[in-house]
Amino acid sequence: MEDKGEVKCIKFSLENKILAVQRTSKTVDFSNLIPDNSQQEYTQECKTKNANILGFCWTSSTEIVFITDQGIEFYQVLPEKRSLKLLKSQSLNVNWYMYCPESAVILLSTAVLGNVLQPFYFRGVTMLKLPKFEIELPTAPKSTKLSLSERDIAMATIYGQLYVLYLRHHSRTSNSTGAEVVLYHLPREGACKKMHILKLNRTGKFALNVVDNLVVVHHQDTETSVIFDIKLRGEFDGALTIHHPVLPPRSIQPYQLPAAGPASVTSQSPVPCKLYSSSWIVFQPDIIISASQGYLWNLQVKLQPIVNLVPDKGRLMDFLLQRKDCKMVILSVCSQMLSEADRATLPVMATVFDKLNQEYKKYLDAEQSYTAAVEAGQSRSNPPLKRPVRTQAVVDQSDMYTHVLSVFAEKKEMPHKLVVSVLMEYVRSLNQCQIPVKHYLHELVVKTLVQHNLFYMLHQFLQYHVLSDSKHLACLLLSLESFYPPAHQLSLDMLKRLSTANDEIVEVLLSKHQVLAALRFIRGIGGHISARKFLDAAKQTEDNMLFYTIFRFFEQRNQRLRGSPDFTPGEHCDEHVAFFKQIFGDQAVRPTTL
Amino acid sequence: MGLSTRLQGNRVHASVQEENKILFYHPNEVEKNEKIRNVGLCEAIVQFTRTFSPSKPAKSLHTQKNRQFFNEPEENFWMVMVVRNPIIEKQSKDGKPIVEYQEEELLDKVYSSVLQQCYSMYKLFNGTFLRAMEDGGVKLLKERLEKFFHRYLQTLHLQSCDLLDIFGGISFFPLDKMTYLKIQSFINRVEESLSIVKYTAFLYNDQLIWSGLEQDDMRILYKYLTTSLFPRHIEPELAGRDSPVRAEIPGNLQHYGRGLEPFIPGYTALISAMSAAVCFMIDAATQPTLDFCRRLDSIVGPQLTVLASDICEQFHINKRTSGSEKDPQFKFIYFNHMNLAEKSTIHMRKTPSVSLTSVHPDLMKILGDINSDFTRVDEDEEIIVKAMSDYWVVGKKSDQRELYVILNQKNANLIEVNEEVKKLCATQFNNIFFLD
Amino acid sequence: MAAEVQRKRSSECPDGTLAPSDGHTVERAESPTPGLAQGMEPGAGQEGAMFVHARSYEDLTESEASEMSGESPQEGAGSAPPLPADMRQISQDFSELSTQLTGVARDLQEEMLPGSSEDWSEPPGATGRPATEPSREGTTEGDEEDATEAWRLHQKHVFVLSEAGKPVYSRYGSEEALSSTMGVMVALVSFLEADKNAIRSIHADGYKVVFVRRSPLVLVAVARTRQSAQELAQELLYIYYQILSLLTGAQLSHIFQQKQNYDLRRLLSGSERITDNLLQLMARDPSFLMGAARCLPLAAAVRDVVSASLQQARARSLVFSILLARNQLVALVRRKDQFLHPIDLHLLFNLISSSSSFREGEAWTPVCLPKFNAAGFFHVHISYLEPDTDLCLLLVSTDREDFFAVSDCRRRFQERLRKRGAHLALREALRTPYYSVAQVGIPDLRHFLYKSKSSGLFTSPEIEAPYTSEEEQERLLGLYQYLHSRAHNASRPLKTIYYTGPNENLLAWVTGAFELYMCYSPLGTKASAVNAIHKLMRWIRKEEDRLFILTPLTY
Repeated sequence: MEDKGEVKCIKFSLENKILAVQRTSKTVDFSNLIPDNSQQEYTQECKTKNANILGFCWTSSTEIVFITDQGIEFYQVLPEKRSLKLLKSQSLNVNWYMYCPESAVILLSTAVLGNVLQPFYFRGVTMLKLPKFEIELPTAPKSTKLSLSERDIAMATIYGQLYVLYLRHHSRTSNSTGAEVVLYHLPREGACKKMHILKLNRTGKFALNVVDNLVVVHHQDTETSVIFDIKLRGEFDGALTIHHPVLPPRSIQPYQLPAAGPASVTSQSPVPCKLYSSSWIVFQPDIIISASQGYLWNLQVKLQPIVNLVPDKGRLMDFLLQRKDCKMVILSVCSQMLSEADRATLPVMATVFDKLNQEYKKYLDAEQSYTAAVEAGQSRSNPPLKRPVRTQAVVDQSDMYTHVLSVFAEKKEMPHKLVVSVLMEYVRSLNQCQIPVKHYLHELVVKTLVQHNLFYMLHQFLQYHVLSDSKHLACLLLSLESFYPPAHQLSLDMLKRLSTANDEIVEVLLSKHQVLAALRFIRGIGGHISARKFLDAAKQTEDNMLFYTIFRFFEQRNQRLRGSPDFTPGEHCDEHVAFFKQIFGDQAVRPTTL
Repeated sequence: MGLSTRLQGNRVHASVQEENKILFYHPNEVEKNEKIRNVGLCEAIVQFTRTFSPSKPAKSLHTQKNRQFFNEPEENFWMVMVVRNPIIEKQSKDGKPIVEYQEEELLDKVYSSVLQQCYSMYKLFNGTFLRAMEDGGVKLLKERLEKFFHRYLQTLHLQSCDLLDIFGGISFFPLDKMTYLKIQSFINRVEESLSIVKYTAFLYNDQLIWSGLEQDDMRILYKYLTTSLFPRHIEPELAGRDSPVRAEIPGNLQHYGRGLEPFIPGYTALISAMSAAVCFMIDAATQPTLDFCRRLDSIVGPQLTVLASDICEQFHINKRTSGSEKDPQFKFIYFNHMNLAEKSTIHMRKTPSVSLTSVHPDLMKILGDINSDFTRVDEDEEIIVKAMSDYWVVGKKSDQRELYVILNQKNANLIEVNEEVKKLCATQFNNIFFLD
Repeated sequence: MAAEVQRKRSSECPDGTLAPSDGHTVERAESPTPGLAQGMEPGAGQEGAMFVHARSYEDLTESEASEMSGESPQEGAGSAPPLPADMRQISQDFSELSTQLTGVARDLQEEMLPGSSEDWSEPPGATGRPATEPSREGTTEGDEEDATEAWRLHQKHVFVLSEAGKPVYSRYGSEEALSSTMGVMVALVSFLEADKNAIRSIHADGYKVVFVRRSPLVLVAVARTRQSAQELAQELLYIYYQILSLLTGAQLSHIFQQKQNYDLRRLLSGSERITDNLLQLMARDPSFLMGAARCLPLAAAVRDVVSASLQQARARSLVFSILLARNQLVALVRRKDQFLHPIDLHLLFNLISSSSSFREGEAWTPVCLPKFNAAGFFHVHISYLEPDTDLCLLLVSTDREDFFAVSDCRRRFQERLRKRGAHLALREALRTPYYSVAQVGIPDLRHFLYKSKSSGLFTSPEIEAPYTSEEEQERLLGLYQYLHSRAHNASRPLKTIYYTGPNENLLAWVTGAFELYMCYSPLGTKASAVNAIHKLMRWIRKEEDRLFILTPLTY
């Protein structure tokens, strides 16, 4: 690309199709980067007479905006025609501008003091003028000179909403204890609204980043940063919410620079890089550039260390639940609060469980209504509903079971009373959130109670249906009968309530040699009865009276069905017939005269 | 019907003067020789039966005038209770009044249960007889017996004893899962914050919701709480045994500490708010201080009040949904040996004075007869009888559960009766495995 | 046993005419209803009964007082035969009796050798029981222990003793060995009587001890059965009457008035086996429970001929003529206004069935029928019509001198039977003395008892499978006893009982007119049970003239 003079600024369009180069304060040159096209540039001059281009920015792969000191011009680039088409323009005095690509909003500082901000919103070939708003300056400006500097404003999307962050410096006159960050909410439509104030409680030089929906404010003098989360509860004065740092100030983790110099020489040990240096420049949302060392960093928030910095577990949960990679941390917090070392009280556990389950429930509901909608065939409704995303904040029963509860319950040294209380607290929380409890949790409860011979407790739980019915549980109970006889009854009741377990019931009864009961039961509910099965069972009891009864019962059934008391060969009852004769003699096998 | 209870001990001490063998005798006025005679008879009877079964001596003696019940709760300690047969005055031909004893009126099982109950209750508060002997010899034992039974015998109302005394069951308060879980976590929290609380029991309207004690202990404690301890001043005569008497009085928040009752192995503190009552068993080792009581109050009081109103609310919701369970067609008693759960629509509330039943005593006795028939085999049985009064009485025993129904459709036939019972089971016991 | 046995060849003398039996009929209720009036129920006799109506447990309540006051219960029931004139008379009767008793006991032992024990009524254990068991001295400690243990485990002990504590009878174990125990029993009785009280029963886990006081005797039962105290007392009363039937009440009280601690065994030696037999019979034969007699199923025509023949074979001194077959009644003719009490009949049954000595020729023996008159003896002529059949004829006479006249009645009776060819029909009937429940045609039905209250008769089919073993049969009767005791509970009687148990369903239905006890499959439903009742009652109505004596005759 040949030299046509000093380049003020170059910007690639999205997808790097076109390169825009500003060399003069009036024009911007373009060159297509599509291979077959020739490299020949084409130029666009700003429409407004004797206006100076402050800058330009791409809003898409072919749309571009010029910002001049007298307004903005919105163009569409036509690469093949090698020309631009003015889509829209707006004239107003501009002090400076700021562009937020991810929200495609341009903010123009207007008015003498520069504290009236005019946002524009770009979408495709349309340019939307949003209502302008004024930033309250800390002190009534004495002069008429520009008093809102670009450095003190940032734009960022926090929890899906676009905010304009204003770093308001400490002023002796205002009785504020220190600098603070003011958040203006900039909605797609409707007026911009001042909403949050982040108290920095200090003065000096600051820089902002937004990471994982957290506002990170760096302070140069103390070389520390503080973190704010606007979702956490703050002091609400009716209009504004005032926030304090989530945790005490902490420094960014020290960073080692690889030794400078030729790559061959690697003997030198890496040098620690100077943090919070004045040569740092921050870009939204999370970029820090060290001009001096020529490094670019992405700022990250490490959750694990934070866990111990927030004493209030409830608040900690609120904080963690909003973070991206929170699950493992949350689980570790849970196990920690159960550990002997620093065990939380039951009420605290309760609140933690409740918070987790509320989040869990939200997801379940969304999921449910989605599937419901899909089944209802509204899938092609617009906007097309999309499957709810399962964030890491969704900590479900299996997570809790595998990582926290089962481990905890296994611990020998744990007082069983505590174990039970905790499990019941979690179950309670689930129920309170109307989340159906998974059977493995119930089984864990049962196992724990059984291990410590707390059978009566178990009995009471089942009595009040705290442990909900399932074949799993019923079978588990059956296996307990030898230790705790009532378990048999409990299990039968459960099978009955399930009303899908009639076969199991019959099996249980037969296994207990309660052949009559089994037969009466089936007769009650109707259903096929295998003569052989019952005759076998009766024979096993070695109770001739019983065998007689059962045998006769089937004889009469045969009589009703086939007009003869004999069994069909298919029923394979010959041995039983023989057995019957053997005990009660042939004459006992008489055709029942009906 | 009079009561005379004797407690006779210990052939080991036979060398001691005869009368010393008698550790407690009520009524005490009885002349000494008389006492010795009566005690002697019991010994004779027991000895006599040993010739036929050394290990299983007599349990009761039937005579024309009375029945005597024997119980050997601890080796060589015998408790005997004598209950007089009811009498009816008759006019003989020559106009002279003659008393006739009704010898078939008393049910053995009922009164032997009452006698065993006596011991369990004594033990609950004093520990075993032997323990007293070890602690302070016969003298101490006699004192303890005197002290305990003097008061306890007042609370016995033999004429109103029936099937329920055989069961010695626990009436559970029906409650939804969520409220129950709330109570659970409430109790767990209290026990966590007050380490000297060993066990907790939670009741509502004299019905149990939660017991941290083992079943058998709870059974006796429950009996004690519901018969002797709870203040009974508010007591509408005609409220079903299982109806929320105190809950009916709206906003009557009588939150109050029942002081500390002596209790083996420790003490109990009772706190009640509205109709909810929590009973805390406290470690014997630690003497509860007044300060502790205050703390207990401050921790429990507020939460309990909230819970109580929750329960009350829930209860009325259930009541509305379940509709009027008082079905004129039948009255029933239900008991489950496995969890001691007991339910009766026959009994009015047991008052300290008398337990009102809504059916004729003879029918109650028929229930007793059926019950004793059941105990002869432990297999499932069903007995349906039609009394001379044409009432139908049904007894069902199915896997450790017993159900007794009295139907007042006099001219129903067996099949119709069976249908009624089926209906009852469908409405009242649909969630348990109960063969018909 | 048999007193004054006089063996004669009964000679044939063809003579005498036959009066036709009067078979007039009353219209009868067709289908059974609870409201069925007494006398109209199936099996109801047409002109009153031949029995005193036995109400349950009357003896426990009423007679006690009278017994105490020494007067016989049935005082003035018809013209009772005059008491034997003077004391000498009695004591003579007595010595004879006792000698005979021992005599019988001896020749019994000969009969009772194995082989002759197919005689169904002979209890295995009781064969040739010696008058008194050898005392156990000399047996080693261990044996002693085992023996006592075995002794304890007996299902039902029965003890009879005098007020002085002298043993009179003990079912198991020698009276000597038990004298101390019996001493205690009497002590207990008198201890309570000292307080104007009376001991009734002692209850323990698994067994009961029941006391019955009949001056001058005390009867005690120790039972591990499921029977109620009431029932056990009832059985003890049977034992008491059994003893009276040998001695008469008058003699019994007289003896003890004379000698407080008289050893009654001297009189009764040899009679223990009768008592043993009675106890065994009561454990298996529902007649005692029902307080009624069961008839041999017999075609009405045949039965009428038999009755008529009996009626005509009368003698001046005859009060009752009874024809039996294996404890089943074939026919009974009585003197006008003279009623036989079921208990008395049962005692006669027992007497017959406890010895097969009567099969030889004719016996002439004094018997007291305590319910009829406890004060005196009747003289009963006992003979089997033919040695090889079970037909046994009892002719009850008031005159001990009247043997030949009575014996002649027997001859005339047999003659008439032959004349009218009834004896063949009888033989035929005897080949099937029981009917099968299958005839009723109710599949679930296993067994039943039906009692017509007015006629004092009951009927029941043969006990068949599954009640094949002896234990099962006794268990079944036990169940009937259970129903009966509940239905007739002194203070809480019941009209209907439906019982579903592990092995069978039972149903009891007691009305003013009849009692019905049904045993059927535990898988039978209530509906089927109700149908079964109606079907069964219709069947009985249909069969009644075969199963019952509808036209009882008097001389």
